[in-house]
Amino acid sequence: MKQLLEHIARALVDHPDQVEVRQINGERSILLELKVAPEDMGKVIGKQGRIAKSIRTVISAAAMGANKRVMVEIVQ
Amino acid sequence: MRIVEESGKTVDEAIMKALSSLGVKRENTVIKVLSEPAQGILSFIGNKNARVSVQVRLEPAQYMEEFFNKVLDYMNIKGSVAVTEDQEKLNINIEGKKSALLIGRRGKTLNELQYLANAVLRRQFLGWRKMVIVDVEGYRIRRENTLKQLAASIAKKVSLAGREQVLEPMTPQERRIIHMALQDHQDVVTYSKGEEPYRKVVISPR
Repeated sequence: MKQLLEHIARALVDHPDQVEVRQINGERSILLELKVAPEDMGKVIGKQGRIAKSIRTVISAAAMGANKRVMVEIVQ
Repeated sequence: MRIVEESGKTVDEAIMKALSSLGVKRENTVIKVLSEPAQGILSFIGNKNARVSVQVRLEPAQYMEEFFNKVLDYMNIKGSVAVTEDQEKLNINIEGKKSALLIGRRGKTLNELQYLANAVLRRQFLGWRKMVIVDVEGYRIRRENTLKQLAASIAKKVSLAGREQVLEPMTPQERRIIHMALQDHQDVVTYSKGEEPYRKVVISPR
């Protein structure tokens, strides 16, 4: 899941080398924190969060296949 | 494979010029420095520009093939990705075991994947205008048939009851299928209402 998120984010931004994903394992779910260059924030969020929504849907599908619950947070 | 040569005061400047004339991001190219800039002894005389050649490594179709193969890998789905391109569209067809995971409920995941694919290509290739259509295991054709049947049966109900009926929210492509299916219908007319992404088709008596 972490790799999938990195892969998608890198394809969307201007600075793929600055894409970082931190995985935090909880009891029932996994939290993925996505960090990108400040000027790339808009690129992974999109107008009215449209891109972020798409990313979350795709990651949730991947998580379902692995029988896990995953949340994606975009952090500064 | 497209390739251009450019020159500039610095190597970077030459590369930037080449990239903007190709409309491609740096990661999708192979760059060769043909000559470094050289400074003349006097500031103007004998200055030599930097010269580079930039070759496109991945065109949109290949880029998408690679992109989706990786998506399948990371999702542990064994499958294949076929990409075809015509004048208006780039079609991506995914087949494979467990690939239904990529469709989701009523095609939700598939539509989001398609939205991402469109966004990715516009970011990677400046001036990219074609639509990207993503399909998994022929889902879109099956969905089209389902929607046509739905349109016909609701239209029948509407003309019998004489009351309009609102369908569930759909994507623009799905709404278009309904409108097209009923455009010549004798007893009903269709229109859309609401805002994306909750825009819905209304079937009402003529």
